[in-house]
Amino acid sequence: MKPFVGGVILIIMILFMGFFFLLPLSGTFRMAFMGPQGGWTLDYLFEIFRNPLYLEGLRNAFIIAIFSTLGCLFLAVPLALIFVRHEFLGKAQFNGLLLVPLILPPFVGALGIQAMLGQAGALNSLLIDWGVLSKDAPIDWLGRGQLIGVIIMNVLHLYPIVYLNLSGSLANIDPQWDDAANSLGCPPFRRFWRITLPLAMPGLYAGCSIAFIWAFTELGVPLIFDVDRVTSVQIFSAIKDLNNNPLPYALVVVLLGLTLLLFFGSRAFFRSDVAGGEGKATLGRPIIPLTGWRGWLATGFFAGVVAIALLPHIGVFLMALSKDWYGTVLPQQWTLEPLERALGHPLTLTAIGNSLRYALLATILDLVLGVAVAWLLVRTKLFGRSLVDGLTMMPLAVPGIVMAFGYLALSRSGQPLDWLIKGEDPLMLLVVAYAMRRLPYVVRSVTAGLQQVHPALEEAAESLGATPIRALWRVTFPLVMPAVIAGGLLAFAFAMLEVSDSMILAQRTIHFPITKAIYTLAAALGDGPSLASALGLWAMLFLTVTFVGTGAILGRKIGALFKV
Amino acid sequence: MRAIDLQHLSKRLGQREVLNDVSLTIAPGELFFLIGPSGCGKTTLLRHIAGFLVPDRGHIFFDQEEVTMWPPHRRETGMMFQNYALWPHLNVEANVAFGLEERRVPAADIRLRVEEALEQVQLGGLGQRRISELSGGQQQRVALARALVIRPRSLLLDEPLSNLDARLRLEMRLEIRRITKAFGLTAVYVTHDREEALSMADRMAVMKEGRLLQVGSPKDLYQHPKSLEVAAFIGEANCLLGQVLGKTGDPSIYAVETPYGRLLARKTQERWQPRDGQEVHLMLRPEAIRAAMPSPESNGFPGTLVETLYLGASVQYRVLLKDGVMIQWMVQHPRGDLKREGESLWLEVDSRDLLMLEE
Repeated sequence: MKPFVGGVILIIMILFMGFFFLLPLSGTFRMAFMGPQGGWTLDYLFEIFRNPLYLEGLRNAFIIAIFSTLGCLFLAVPLALIFVRHEFLGKAQFNGLLLVPLILPPFVGALGIQAMLGQAGALNSLLIDWGVLSKDAPIDWLGRGQLIGVIIMNVLHLYPIVYLNLSGSLANIDPQWDDAANSLGCPPFRRFWRITLPLAMPGLYAGCSIAFIWAFTELGVPLIFDVDRVTSVQIFSAIKDLNNNPLPYALVVVLLGLTLLLFFGSRAFFRSDVAGGEGKATLGRPIIPLTGWRGWLATGFFAGVVAIALLPHIGVFLMALSKDWYGTVLPQQWTLEPLERALGHPLTLTAIGNSLRYALLATILDLVLGVAVAWLLVRTKLFGRSLVDGLTMMPLAVPGIVMAFGYLALSRSGQPLDWLIKGEDPLMLLVVAYAMRRLPYVVRSVTAGLQQVHPALEEAAESLGATPIRALWRVTFPLVMPAVIAGGLLAFAFAMLEVSDSMILAQRTIHFPITKAIYTLAAALGDGPSLASALGLWAMLFLTVTFVGTGAILGRKIGALFKV
Repeated sequence: MRAIDLQHLSKRLGQREVLNDVSLTIAPGELFFLIGPSGCGKTTLLRHIAGFLVPDRGHIFFDQEEVTMWPPHRRETGMMFQNYALWPHLNVEANVAFGLEERRVPAADIRLRVEEALEQVQLGGLGQRRISELSGGQQQRVALARALVIRPRSLLLDEPLSNLDARLRLEMRLEIRRITKAFGLTAVYVTHDREEALSMADRMAVMKEGRLLQVGSPKDLYQHPKSLEVAAFIGEANCLLGQVLGKTGDPSIYAVETPYGRLLARKTQERWQPRDGQEVHLMLRPEAIRAAMPSPESNGFPGTLVETLYLGASVQYRVLLKDGVMIQWMVQHPRGDLKREGESLWLEVDSRDLLMLEE
């Protein structure tokens, strides 16, 4: 019975991943390497590296990724070190607040931060009011059309990921290792370099690699900041002339190749360094309370980071509640009109409906597949399950924009996946695309949950007269339910605010999901930006509710979902 | 009460032969122990009886009925797991009621029987507690109540006391024995703790590498082990080497040549006919040794005391024999002065306590 069910799951998963993951990728590859008369060619690939525009795009993507990662480190390392080792005023509250940036899709945040730090934004107005700044020469903090704004936004969005991974690693360092070095005469600063840092390397590496690749391939933020000479945006713009031009395909292949190189290259480099670093602390670390000025410094630092990280949110909030906000510290006129209009506007209304539909179906698909795969991985010893494990984790390493491009290429009429588009409705295509990107998170969440349920708990039920199905239903199911719900909520929330697939795969206005509607509105004249903010605010509220709900179910473990 | 009859069970897991032609009959109402080093197959055997594993070859009978292929939930065996396997999402009462609910017992009866079962394990009034609010000993009692409340026809216990502290373990030994006897249960108990087995078992089996080495009462196994392995697993055992010289007037007593002279030893296996000149092991328990005045005629040998370990109720000495063999000697209830390290000794042993075992 068990091997049979396992075998069926195995085959379905291999087919699913083959069709919807490997096939789109290989389609892109074929276009990138196939010459005009058939046969293989590397010409297009070389063409990318000869084209100064594409080279500049790649260079900019690297600059954005490197500085975004450095910025994340700059914030996350002191945060994590202080948080794991010390007690200070407001510690419990800050733990939650630090994660808030994760709930706002960065490109909505980009709208907000422009309102705060733009040339006519709140900060400049404040400085002008104070007389520090001349009205005629406002500072362009974000450097419109330049990379600095993109980097700031990325840092504010991604630092929690580095922080979570690092603090998880730090918490797992057995304090005895530190004490041992101490007793051998190693002073604190050297202990940090010789003991703490090497042992925390796995978490640091994991967090940084996620942040780096995310920043490297981020599409939404550079779009909002009008930075068009970045690879991701270049790919996005190239979609219009996809049919006859193989260069965009080659560009996608280059982006994917670089991403994989970074992902696996850095892994090999770091992993050899940290063999045996993944210990588990056997003793609780003594938490040292910070008193006096040190305590205030810690509290101040955390409060400062939270305040800066919330700038984009505050910006979105103010824009959504105001009218004609321009050149003043705070809006002059407050109104609920954009919020109302956001729910009445034909574009936003259909977008919300579309997103709900796409996200709900994608979540259901993810849960069905995720639960099945988790069961296969944890409860069977079937040959080939490690293949399924590897396959379902692969979407983590492939940037969203690469996948979206592959889907687009393969869903054109005459291509193998064209049946995913019914008429012009991209419903099925988007559902599959959303589901694919979040499948690793769901599998991981449910797998972790299932691993917590010792098989003896099921066996106890069976020895007391429950059939295997009944045991699954009465014992295993209730115990993994929190993990299933958490994985599902996460998949749902991310699908609601997914950018790459939404931007690329939804072509007609009536099929736009929320993110593409926000992008379209933000670019529109008149009240577009404030409508976009209002829609973003609704999305934020929605996501907050989702995450608070998840947090309540999972306790503090929600951070675990963002770790590698 | 049911008899459990295992016939020629063999099981291979991966490359390992985890059970190798195991045959065993456990009488109705018997408290039977499976004991052996970790990885010997004792838990595997228990899981075959419970129905979580199906043997590659062989048959399992409960009374006259073959149950080899029956799933666990039809076998009516209560089982206690090593880590208790209490369900964390259910409270104490719901854990205990589970098996009754699966049997569709009317709700009113369930309430009564759960209450009664909790009383029996001295947990009355704790039904609403969460599992995480209980101590290790209390969790253990809940697991026992949960297994007993369905009135199983046999009880299987997989190292149930291994997670308790020493004092609680002693208490629970008596408790489990009392309860299995009161319910008239046929119980199979897996442990690697020899004291637990010796003090509780009606009969026991020593296992190694998937085979039964010897089956018998605790006294049988301790006093008449068939091999050095069994002897060493059941208790402390000293081993001397020797060559058979020949029979004596007593058919079970043989003369054996050793580096310390001629010694008389008892043969434990009736079927074994040792040849003269054959190499044999001589096993003697530390507590069977006594000190005496040196006399070449006695059944004894000289040695030098190298280490003294005073334990209050007893003293353990380590004694070096002249060919370099180290043996343990235990004196119960020591009176007067202790022997001093470096002292030369003459140690004697009754020929019935010096066991001759096949090499």
